[in-house]
Amino acid sequence: MTVSQISVFANSRPGHLSRVLDRFEEAGVSVRGFSASDTGEYGILRFVVDRPEEALEALREDGCACTVTPVLCLKLVDEPGELARVMGVLARCGINVVYSYSMISTYIVLSTTDPDRARALLASEPVELITQEDIARFSAARQGKGIER
Amino acid sequence: MSASATMDVREKGGALAAAAAGRFDLLPVYKPEIERAPREQIEAVQLAKLKETVAYAYERVPYYRTKMDEMGVAPADIQTLADVRRLPFTDKAVLRDTFPFGLFAVPLDEIRELHSSSGTTGKPVVVGYTDDDMAMWSECIARLVQMAGVVPGDVAQMAFGYGMFTGGFGLHYGLQRLGCAMIPAGAGNTERHIQMIEDYGTTVLVATPSYAMHICEVGEKMGYDWEASPLRVGLFGGEPCPPGLKAEIERRMHIVCTDNYGLTEVMGPGVSGECLAERYQQHIAEDHFLWEVIDPETGEPVGEGEMGELVLTPLGKQGIPVLRYRTHDLTAVHTEPCACGRTLARMDKVRSRSDDMLIIRGTNVFPSQVEDVLTGIEEVTPHYHIIVETKDGMDFLIVETELRPEAFSDSFETMDALRRKIAEKLKATLLVAPTVRLVEPGGIERAIGKAKHVDDRRAK
Repeated sequence: MTVSQISVFANSRPGHLSRVLDRFEEAGVSVRGFSASDTGEYGILRFVVDRPEEALEALREDGCACTVTPVLCLKLVDEPGELARVMGVLARCGINVVYSYSMISTYIVLSTTDPDRARALLASEPVELITQEDIARFSAARQGKGIER
Repeated sequence: MSASATMDVREKGGALAAAAAGRFDLLPVYKPEIERAPREQIEAVQLAKLKETVAYAYERVPYYRTKMDEMGVAPADIQTLADVRRLPFTDKAVLRDTFPFGLFAVPLDEIRELHSSSGTTGKPVVVGYTDDDMAMWSECIARLVQMAGVVPGDVAQMAFGYGMFTGGFGLHYGLQRLGCAMIPAGAGNTERHIQMIEDYGTTVLVATPSYAMHICEVGEKMGYDWEASPLRVGLFGGEPCPPGLKAEIERRMHIVCTDNYGLTEVMGPGVSGECLAERYQQHIAEDHFLWEVIDPETGEPVGEGEMGELVLTPLGKQGIPVLRYRTHDLTAVHTEPCACGRTLARMDKVRSRSDDMLIIRGTNVFPSQVEDVLTGIEEVTPHYHIIVETKDGMDFLIVETELRPEAFSDSFETMDALRRKIAEKLKATLLVAPTVRLVEPGGIERAIGKAKHVDDRRAK
């Protein structure tokens, strides 16, 4: 079974991603995973949502350039080598993975034009920032070992 | 649905249907005795009025008397239409240098109205109209709005600004002259325009093409049904109307759109107007304007039907009798009779000016060329923006164009291929390789006044 991913054309400018998300919120659409990639001038925003048809309709009403693409969603077991194993299956069959992103949308990565300022701004908001050490700690905890500090 | 019922110009789509069927006899003509006169008769009228106009300018305007004396030409030397070439040219600088009333041929108590042009540099140009000038101006407009299928009894809504600009009052008077009810709404407040169309049963909209497109889009967003709307005719002016944009407005608003040509320095709108037979040309009011087409470099006439700079001499104008005004607009003029039945000469729509040419790395580039290429590419809209920049002494041309929603694909490869295709097509026409930027739908600003297409960021 494939999942219907919503893709949106957006110029690389402040406010575009949030405008799309506002439309989703108004339409009662919940984002379960997303990715935003750019070429410097324009980008493609990709979303996995709970109600793709409503999402698409809301965006089209707004005059957005958007489309639906069938994609695969996989749930991996959190063990070392698991990502490599799945990709290996496709690689051996000669299937190219054009792009891939992680779907758990509560841990996200952002690349911004001003990382220091963005960090300072978000630090004063009710949102948790994750450090490099946190990531190492999660990984170590998963493997049942403590991390030496 | 019977064919004859749909060819009634009072019905929505009727004028276009009649034109498509070649039934130009069903379309009204305001003054057939001149609009359909044999060429010899038109030229006889022109010659008689030219002689009077030259004598009038010589007698009343010191600038022309001095200039003609210097050139050794007297009013009596004008014996044929070709003799107009013996007269001095007038360009905008003369009108500016004699600001405000230096070229006026009558005292101010004979002037009924003043207008001025939107001068982009220096002082504006001010013009004045006598009672007779106002009558001639409104008649010229009445003729061209009839060419577009407007009839007495139509309700016309003005979306030009009024003020000193000639477009607002010019169309206002001309539409009233024909027998229409005017709604002087003015520019801006788009939702209110749409509400008024519905409330007052507006059948004719006067707007710049870019603002008409904006009204169309706002209406669509509001859920307004343009097909069911009483609106039937769009009269465009104030800026050149790209054919692609006009076709799109006709399709989406379900109206027939024409545009007209004119300039404040010789009168205002009404010099020429589009009929429904030749959609890329406009009939010149030849009994009121003597036209010439010259090589802008040498000032000599170009061959029959060849492209050059349009030069206009208003005939019988009293407030300011301008001789041989250099418009800087590039066009070609054709004199064979038109399928619409009119014999008045047709000028190709002005797509470029001798002075909006951009010189990029030594190559001449006209914004209209960019527009023509983009109009032929179905993945993008006709809206565009040109940016010229210098980097390390080199000129760079950047063309921003709007992606159509249905042309979007979830693949950078496809989108980049589209960008390359547009760049290659532009390069083939412009002979300069541009950088193409794709902009999201609606991302290029819709100007209410003259659409600003070019941003030249090079140091002057």
